[in-house]
Amino acid sequence: MDFRFLGETFMTLLAALPLTLYLALVSSICGALGALVLALMRLSSARPLSLIARAYVFVFRGTPLLIQLFLIYYGLGQFRPSLQMLGLWPFFRDPIYCTIAALAMNTAAYGSEIVRGGLAAVPRGAVEAAIACGMSPGLRFRRVVLPLATRIALPAYGNELIVMVKATSLASTITIMEVTGIAGKLIAETYRTMEIFACAAAIYLLINFVLTRLVLTLEWWMSPDRTTRRVLEQIGETKVKVTA
Amino acid sequence: MDSYDLLFGGGRWWIPLSEGALTTVTIAASGFVLGAIFGSALALMRLGGNAVARRLADIYTTTLRGIPDLLVIYLLYFGGSGALGLIGGFFGATGFIGIPTFATGALALGVVSAAYQAEVFRGAFKAIARGELEAGRACGMSGPAMFRRIVAPQALRFALPGLGNVWQLILKETALISVVGLVELMRAAQVGAGSTRQPFLFYLSAFVLYLVITSISGRLFARAEAICARPYRRA
Amino acid sequence: MTLMTSTRQNEPSAMPLPNDERPKKIEIEGLRKSFGKIEVLKGISLEACQGDVVAILGASGSGKSTLLRCLNFLETPDAGTLSICGERITMPASAKGRMIQVDRQTLIRIRTRAAMVFQSFNLWSHMTVLENVIEAPIQVQRRPRAVCVAEAEAVLARVGLAEKRHTYPAMLSGGQQQRVAIARALAMRPEVLLFDEPTSALDPELVGEVLTVMRSLADEGRTMLVVTHEMGFARHVSSRTVFLHQGLVEEEGPSADVFANPKSERFRQFIRRIEV
Repeated sequence: MDFRFLGETFMTLLAALPLTLYLALVSSICGALGALVLALMRLSSARPLSLIARAYVFVFRGTPLLIQLFLIYYGLGQFRPSLQMLGLWPFFRDPIYCTIAALAMNTAAYGSEIVRGGLAAVPRGAVEAAIACGMSPGLRFRRVVLPLATRIALPAYGNELIVMVKATSLASTITIMEVTGIAGKLIAETYRTMEIFACAAAIYLLINFVLTRLVLTLEWWMSPDRTTRRVLEQIGETKVKVTA
Repeated sequence: MDSYDLLFGGGRWWIPLSEGALTTVTIAASGFVLGAIFGSALALMRLGGNAVARRLADIYTTTLRGIPDLLVIYLLYFGGSGALGLIGGFFGATGFIGIPTFATGALALGVVSAAYQAEVFRGAFKAIARGELEAGRACGMSGPAMFRRIVAPQALRFALPGLGNVWQLILKETALISVVGLVELMRAAQVGAGSTRQPFLFYLSAFVLYLVITSISGRLFARAEAICARPYRRA
Repeated sequence: MTLMTSTRQNEPSAMPLPNDERPKKIEIEGLRKSFGKIEVLKGISLEACQGDVVAILGASGSGKSTLLRCLNFLETPDAGTLSICGERITMPASAKGRMIQVDRQTLIRIRTRAAMVFQSFNLWSHMTVLENVIEAPIQVQRRPRAVCVAEAEAVLARVGLAEKRHTYPAMLSGGQQQRVAIARALAMRPEVLLFDEPTSALDPELVGEVLTVMRSLADEGRTMLVVTHEMGFARHVSSRTVFLHQGLVEEEGPSADVFANPKSERFRQFIRRIEV
């Protein structure tokens, strides 16, 4: 085995890591906000709002992310004059912005279903107790509903974050040289598929490992009761063993 | 030419687009079947008593679920071509030998979806009430008979919702196969977009077609689930 | 409950035969079973002749369910001799923790001759009532389908569920499910029926219908081993009662005698606790 080549490849790919992380982070944050808004729209009593949210989720979950990305980056390019007039062209000309937009819009759709599940799973009694204390709807949502729902939705949302990290690789199809982009370029140049694949895979597994640990820690931090904490600690330990 | 003419009139672009859609469904189905085969093998490894097999299946699942599918496609396409190149070189051929993109794509979808299908099958097996297996044993059924008569029909029913999700996932993943040049729906839209300079029209058409395919198959799975759920419905 | 008031006038029809001339259906000698370090059965001996209805009583953890499960080989005993409907099997002492494998044909014979009814019914949820009942006769005993269906309809009528034959278990009440399970056991034409706490998972108002079926089976002269908490059944229906304590037989004898003057202090306390 050519360790020197492996090392060099790993370093080259590592140089692209910040870009991958940047894409994942920004789109996840925007996507999470979108998910919350969509979930609230979906649950609202105003019919048009919930219908719009449903249609949005249906469309974005029913089509491949790649075509969403191409539609935004290449498709909207067709309307360059109008976009220039509106002053939006600098945004849609930039592949990074377009990637972030596509990823965020996509994860908002999936995330909203998770958030909706979390909100729906908040025990009715907890809300009633809040009403009985005289909390206003806003206060109730902020102090009781949202914390409980977040805790319930967190594990599933953790999975969605991993999906997001993997999805950043699609940016390579619109000329962005993040980790997968570099890996693809190296493979096409050198044909040393296996080594390059192994390095790139290791980087993604590392990101996802850290991400899993972060989510577990967050869950632990958000579960005040000891039993849940102990279970989470055990999960954490087995996770370490499996991956190591 | 306006959009309508381009697609359905003189442009006749609806033909390659629908051919592409057909390829998308075909390759998704092939990947799904391959994934079901690999997936059940993985599920058996994870449920079985052999610790090494269990660990191997665990590693497979964790890895495949943690790395981008594009990387897997690159690996199989370039790796497969490389292997073919080696064999070709032995016979005197030189340079890059492309391997069939359909086979690569189906294999990639199978390899990736196996990790998900294994989880679905494992969960479905675990959902079967242990007492029902015990009752089978108490009646004198053999292991294979219990699998055939009690486990398989119920596991399939419990797996159906999960399999529906995996199928939708695979349908959407097929778009990635376009990067190695297979002319499925995504690639067909790219070709149309390139040669007519109307990217928005073509990507939107493909977008709508994907939506049609996923929603039809979603309906079908819901129907199948409703039929299979009948025995379990309470009065 | 009606069973409490009934007397033992309707003795099993096989009773006229003197005790020693009736064929022995079940003979257990020195049965032992451990789970890990815990020894659940510490050498149990027991007999049941044709037509006997044996009630097996005991506090939870006394080993009564394990005993029953050993008779069907759902658990493999560690040591002892079992003779079930003429099949005699001696378990070797498992000094090295090794268990013998009973060969498959013997196992089928034992399991179809000593049919099991479970506490939690364990009906196959993906099959209709009728399919549940004909499954083992067709698939295991390989009897012709038409015969099995006809017999299944008869046993379903017997437990009062003929009209439910095309429904799925999920739509039945617990009492109905247990009666289907009894029909499923009867369909194998067993020589012995093993009941593992058949009424413990039922709501109180559903217990009666299951006990009625079981009592009619007893009246028919069927050989039955019943692990139960229903003292009324043990006292008034069963011909013999066995009381287990910590893996050993603590008290045993004809039910009338045993309940009239229990020899063991533990059994006396047990009756008092349960029947309050």
